[in-house]
Formats: sequence, structure tokens, C-alpha cells
Amino acid sequence: MLFKIAWRNIWRSRTRSFVVIGSIIVGVWAVISLLSFSSGISSSYVNSTIQNELSHIQIHHPEFLNEREIGLDIEDSQAILTKVKKTPNVKAASQRTVSIGMVSSSKGARGVMIMGVDPEEEDQVTNLKSNIKEGNYFGSKKRNPILISKRMAEKLQVKMRQKVVLNFQDKNNDITAGAFRIAGIYSTGNNTFDEFRVYVRRSDMNRLMGEENLAHEIAIFLNEPRELEMTAGALKTISPNLAVQTYKEISPEINLFESQLQISAAIFMTIVMLALIFGIINTMLMAVLERYRELGMLMSIGMNKSRIFFMIVYETIMLGIIALPFGLAAGYVTVRWLNKKGIDLSAYGEGMQEFGFSQIVYPDLQSEYYLQLALAVVITAVLASLYPAWKAIKLKPVEAIRKI
Amino acid sequence: MAVIKTQNVTKVYNPDTIPVHALNGINIEITQGEFTAIVGPSGSGKTTLLNIIGGLDNPTDGYIEVGGQDISKLSDNELIEFRKNNIGFVFQAYNLIPVMTAKENVEFVMLLQNRPQAERDQRVKELMEAVGIGDKMDKRPSQLSGGQQQRVAVARALAPKPHFILADEPTANLDSKSTANLLDIMADLNQKENITFVFSTHDQRVIDRARRVITIDDGLVISDETR
Repeated sequence: MLFKIAWRNIWRSRTRSFVVIGSIIVGVWAVISLLSFSSGISSSYVNSTIQNELSHIQIHHPEFLNEREIGLDIEDSQAILTKVKKTPNVKAASQRTVSIGMVSSSKGARGVMIMGVDPEEEDQVTNLKSNIKEGNYFGSKKRNPILISKRMAEKLQVKMRQKVVLNFQDKNNDITAGAFRIAGIYSTGNNTFDEFRVYVRRSDMNRLMGEENLAHEIAIFLNEPRELEMTAGALKTISPNLAVQTYKEISPEINLFESQLQISAAIFMTIVMLALIFGIINTMLMAVLERYRELGMLMSIGMNKSRIFFMIVYETIMLGIIALPFGLAAGYVTVRWLNKKGIDLSAYGEGMQEFGFSQIVYPDLQSEYYLQLALAVVITAVLASLYPAWKAIKLKPVEAIRKI
Repeated sequence: MAVIKTQNVTKVYNPDTIPVHALNGINIEITQGEFTAIVGPSGSGKTTLLNIIGGLDNPTDGYIEVGGQDISKLSDNELIEFRKNNIGFVFQAYNLIPVMTAKENVEFVMLLQNRPQAERDQRVKELMEAVGIGDKMDKRPSQLSGGQQQRVAVARALAPKPHFILADEPTANLDSKSTANLLDIMADLNQKENITFVFSTHDQRVIDRARRVITIDDGLVISDETR
């Protein structure tokens, strides 16, 4: 009965109800759009870090990431790699030899991270191949090809097919050097990343290192990233003496990014919901005051205070629930459209690239945020209804029925 | 049997600031089947008395019994509950729930009482026919004339089988034909069903039809005339 009265009451003043419904729709739409935008930025950063650099999971000697010593390699890495590849949810895995060293040309020298990769396997775990802008991806059979970034090429003032020299420590901690010919120039769009990384064949690097099967890192790409933790757990049982770390553990800023998104989502939602609360209170208060005599009559004939209270609460919740699907749908459609189209931020691209963001943002939003938002709207409606409902039950029927 | 009994009922508004003595010791007794009008000029205390008899307000002092129960000390919530089960109200205006049909309005109090559907349906039908609007069941109040609305209000007031019907200026907004019609229906219910009616009114047409007229002034009963 209360639902029926509440439902009919909200259609008594259609314009007013539509204003509230409209403002909820706009609020929900705005929250979804804003969140999808920041989520798009965040996931482009996370994805580019995963695809260009980290992959989903990495295995190292437990001390390697702290010390970066040549001797902290993965023992029997080939056998481990074979087991890793057989683990469920592992799509691909690749070994890497990693060393910090120096790259120099006739025009300059720079400190770099030298990555020795197995070209075919590496192609399955990172986007290196598709990031090649000039030349090719270890295509030639010649010895010592190197891939450097566009940015590095500019700094070193070198071009394709010119030579650079790499200096790094070998297995015995002696300095070794090798001349490498530039086979390809890549760009990931992340300047910080590009400036410090060169890629060579692992076999070439290991030959200079003095140990053929050396590997410091196994990078693992998953079929289903959502099962990240589960797969990491499974990999830990395969390699109990090694450090199995997810990209979140290796790169804490990604975690920061994700939690920042959650925080900003909460802040956005709170701000919009606060604005909505006041709008709804205003409307419902009007609805209550306008019906003062009628509410007095209802109390006189025996409708108790809790029923009056819930009638007003239901009316408010109904307004929210009517608006919700429209707001969510409008938001969803906007997100899909923007996701397909992309938002071009190239006007601000230089600054964004410095920090590893791509220039085109593809807004996207996980379904859990839609759920959270739906819940937030219902909570908002309930909160907004409390004051008008309280006001309604505070009236004295004697005064209300004789009020002009 | 006394349906309503008051003993030395007083009501003082603003006792702590500027006290206004609305009722100064009212003693009345209304028995089953009466058709009584309470009259008096504005400020006489008539409305206050009606509020107290109707369980809408508590007296400052004194005793009120409705249907054998002392209601003078009941809390707000207890009074709501008491009104629901024991008193039928017909107001001057804003009597009906505008978003509900005539049938739903009449049924409303019985729904509050959690009466079964079959009982509600039967009683609504009986009552609406008794007040002569059996064909207006599905009309909303806005689709009914003032007289028809008041008849729905009477049917609703009767629905929970109250001890008496309290009608506060029920004819104030009606033309003479509708007034006569409404009074006929109420007089008929009074005579045939022995239903007790208590009116508060200025309307001479109502006063003329009443069989007992209690006149209030300065918070006291100044005359009590049974015809």
C-alpha cells in the first residue's frame, strides 16, 4: 500500500519529479564519464607498462631487483621457463639477461639498461616489435644488432645501421664491451622508459658476458590478467627459491595509480552525490510542505508516524531508482562511444609522454564502478529523504489539518 | 451507554508564557446513536474540544473517555493507533488522498488495520452504496464533486466501524443541494445503523438537523439542548 501511494505521489508534480530525476541522470552520467576518463588514462599507463616493459609477472633471483648484480641470475632458467610455460593461464614467457651499462657513440654516451632478449619469445610478452618505427626487429642474421629508442638516437646523434658501443660487466665482474649496429629504432610513447633502455639479442649479450645460458629475468604474459594473483601463486610453487612478482609488486606506482583511481572515484561520487542530496532534500521538502494538510489528515485517520516516514523515504528512493537506469545507460553509451573514438590529447601530448601516458585516451570503466554508483545513488536517496521524512512526522495533525 | 465522556476537561495553551485558557472545565456525555452539533463562535474553544474528543490533542487537565477507554494520557503514537480503530473523521476539506481512487480511499483505514482483502472489498462496496456513490468506485477525488467527495469521506470514516464519527465543518464547502444530500445520508445512517455523529459547525442547516446542540463559549458549555 505504501509503495502504491508513494509511487502515485511522485507523479503528482511531474515537472518537479522530472527535475529531480533529470539531475540524478546528469549526475550519474557525469560521474561515469569522468571516472571512465581517468580510468582510461590510468589503464593506458598500466597497459603500456605491462606491454612495453613488465609483462604481467616476472621471476628473478630474490636479490636481483635490489642489487642488480650480474651474478644474481636465475639458475637453470631454461628448465624453469619450460615449467612456467606449462602453467595454466600463462600465454607466453621469455627469458632476459639484464645489465646496467653504458651506450656510447662518437657523439656521446649514456647510462642504460641493457636488455638481452630472445626475439621470438620476447615478441610474445611485450610490444617491442610493434613499437619499431624504423628498421626491423632483429630481422638480420648478422651479429650484434641493437634496438635503441628514437629519443636515445637523438641524444647519441646516431642513425640506422650506425654503430654504438655497449660497456657492461661480465660474469666475472670485469668490464666488457661490444660494438652493436643499430637494427631498429623504437618508440613506446613513454620518454622516461625510452631514454634508458636498449635491446640486444640475449645470445649476443651472453657471449660477451661469458655464460651462454645466463638469464636474470623471466617475463610472463597471461591469458587472463584478472587471475594474476592465482597464477603468481601457482608459479611460486614451481620456483620456490625465486622471487615471483606481479607487475603491481614490481612497479608500485601502478598500484598507486589504481588506488588513486579508486580514491578519485570516491571523491567524484561524494561531490556529485552531495550536490544531489541537497537538490533532492529541497524537492522533497517542498513536496512535504505542500502536502502538510494531507499528511495531517493521514495521521488523523490513523496512519502512524513510521508509515508516513517510510512513505516519504520510498518516494525519494523511487525517484532515484527511476533515474538510475537512464543515468547508467547514458554513461555507458558515452563511455562506449568515447572508447571507440578515443580522446585526442596530443595538444598536451609532450607533457603526458614524459610521464609515460599515451596521447589518445580511450575512456573505459569497469562494471564494478557502475554497481558502486548505483549503490551510491540509492544511499544518497535514502539520506536525502531522512530530513523531509523527519519533518513530515514532526507535524502535529491538529495544526496541519487547519493550516491554510 | 456513553460513547464520549469528559470530566473537567481544561486546556491551556502556552502555560509558561502567555497562558490562553481554551477550555475551562468541560463536562459532557454523548451516548450511542446521538446526532449532536457542537456550536460556538470563533475562539469559543469549540475546535479545541473537538480535537480533544477526537484524540488529536491531549487536555491540560481532566478526563476523557471514548468507548470506555481513558484517552487523556495517551502518547502521540498511542493516539494515532486509537484514532485508527475508534474514531471516524470527516473534515472540511483535504479529506481524501488525491492519488487514490474513491474505493482505495474508503479501503485505506482498513488496510492500515490489516483487514483481509475479502472483508475490505465487501465493506467498501456496502459503504459506497450506502452513501450513494457505488458507481464512483474508480474515480479519483479530482473527478468527483465536492458533495461526492464528502460522501466518500463519510464512507471512509465508517469503514473501521468506529465508536463515533467526528465531522468538522463537513458542509463548509458545499452548496445547499449537496449539503442537504450529505445530511440526509448521515441522518439515515444515524437512524438505521445507530451510528453516533458529532459535528462541529457554524452551518445553520446542520444545526437545524441536529437532535442535540451543545453550545460552547469562553471554554465552557453554556447550553446543552436536546430536541
